[in-house]
Amino acid sequence: MSQKNKIYWSLGVTEKGTRALLTDENSKFKWLRSQRNRRVLVVLNMLGIVLVSLGSYFPTLTTTLNLSTETELLVFSVTAIVVIFLTLLGYSFLRVAVRGIADAPDELLDERQVQIRNTSYRDAYLAMGYLVLALLLLMFFGPELQMFQSDGNDGSYLVIATLFAFAAAPSMILAWREKDI
Amino acid sequence: MSRNPEEPVFNQIEAIRTSRGLSRQALADLVGVHYQTIGYLERGEYSPSLVLALRIAKALNTEVSELFSLTEPKKGKK
Repeated sequence: MSQKNKIYWSLGVTEKGTRALLTDENSKFKWLRSQRNRRVLVVLNMLGIVLVSLGSYFPTLTTTLNLSTETELLVFSVTAIVVIFLTLLGYSFLRVAVRGIADAPDELLDERQVQIRNTSYRDAYLAMGYLVLALLLLMFFGPELQMFQSDGNDGSYLVIATLFAFAAAPSMILAWREKDI
Repeated sequence: MSRNPEEPVFNQIEAIRTSRGLSRQALADLVGVHYQTIGYLERGEYSPSLVLALRIAKALNTEVSELFSLTEPKKGKK
């Protein structure tokens, strides 16, 4: 008997996928769930987000390195692709490490899991408020940004990094705080 | 008035569960929660809702008042 796999469109998860993460069905990722390893993942994710955001200031950085335009472009493109890929990979590992609780629908969680997920979202909301404040200060007082322009500081990487931070913050808080998950 | 989150709630879940020969996973399956949640409950790190408390009491064939208390239960009482 095949059971239909429900898709939660607004959360971007499936019932089977979420259940597989919540149970220990796949034990090959069990090593990720120790608190120490979860905290290492949080630090790596934060580092990835900072590196992605630095992409917006790369043109300023390369000017001081005296590279040719082609070399600058090549170094910039390859670095950006690698950093974004590694950050996405880190985020995937982080989601597995917290059993996907941050993105799971209420009906697949028990009451404690719902409680810790809700608390992590509240704290993530506060943290994002401070992040947005920091970004505004950076935009006002930092190097001038020319959004989506090939020359000058392209602010699009700051936007990408902020989106990464918004997506990963609840999982990062869960991963850092919870003793057992 | 909200309860002080630091105020401990003592429980006898582990003692009664082991006396019934149930594993954490088995009790978790009976009451419909994750096995880690049973661990949190037994360590007193999470206070359950009334519904969950009643479900646990039913699964362990006991009363809620036997399972949970605001004062530390006397040793050896099951």
